[in-house]
Amino acid sequence: MNVLNGADFSRLVGAMRAAEARQQVISDNISNADTPHFKRSELVFEELLNDQLNGQKNHDLAGIKTQKMHMDIGRNDQIPIMQLVTDEKSVMNNNGNNVDPDREMALLAKNQLRYNSYIQQINHEIKMMRTAIDGRG
Amino acid sequence: MKLTNGFDISASALTAQRLRMDVISSNIANAETTRASYVNGEFQPYKRKMVVLEPMKEGSFASMLQNEMGEASKGVKVSRIQEDRTPDKLVYNPSHPDADKNGYVKMPNVDVTKEMVDMISASRSYEANVTALNATKTMFVKALEIGK
Repeated sequence: MNVLNGADFSRLVGAMRAAEARQQVISDNISNADTPHFKRSELVFEELLNDQLNGQKNHDLAGIKTQKMHMDIGRNDQIPIMQLVTDEKSVMNNNGNNVDPDREMALLAKNQLRYNSYIQQINHEIKMMRTAIDGRG
Repeated sequence: MKLTNGFDISASALTAQRLRMDVISSNIANAETTRASYVNGEFQPYKRKMVVLEPMKEGSFASMLQNEMGEASKGVKVSRIQEDRTPDKLVYNPSHPDADKNGYVKMPNVDVTKEMVDMISASRSYEANVTALNATKTMFVKALEIGK
């Protein structure tokens, strides 16, 4: 029996992990705001999940499943793997650094709000499950 | 644990910015110092010092592999403190005890205005990192509330 192993829950957990990792990436960008030749990085997860949910990434070769026991080939029906993207192209300062502190602070706030909303959602999910287990109306 | 690394990253930057601030203080404090070192029977003025920052990449195999695979660095570190090689300022002041025979004194190559600008930059960076640290902390506290 899967009490808390549904697809939605695992997606939420994946998004939370991504937000935690993104927090590190943004902290790293901010801490290197004065480092010459440092290039900022960004963590991509929500976009990949969105693509997967909308089925826009069907250009990958994928095996068709005719039985329940078949393994996934090519396509991953689970949560996507987060990716770290380094922005090598842009230049912000004349020391080769491309960290914009204002932007990083905005991303930090955004990430934090996202994380809070994920936690709220997870709490809600748990509460619903608890209601179901208790059998209360 | 994974989330605590966020603390380490911000903390490394706080350390680096604080050191940068110390170096700037030293530069401002020694803006008039004419006897910093004694070379070949002659006093040399103080040289302006600068902090060289570089991304911190840990030396272990696992972290090297992660770096190769495109993992972000883990904070910032001060690789060295370098001396500014711009020439000393020559000031005509024959009454100065360190004046040469033409009456010129070698003053340190410290530009106080530049130091002040650097100081503001360091202090703003410090603040930004404190904010990031607090954000990580809030996230951590929030995560402990799951399932309550």
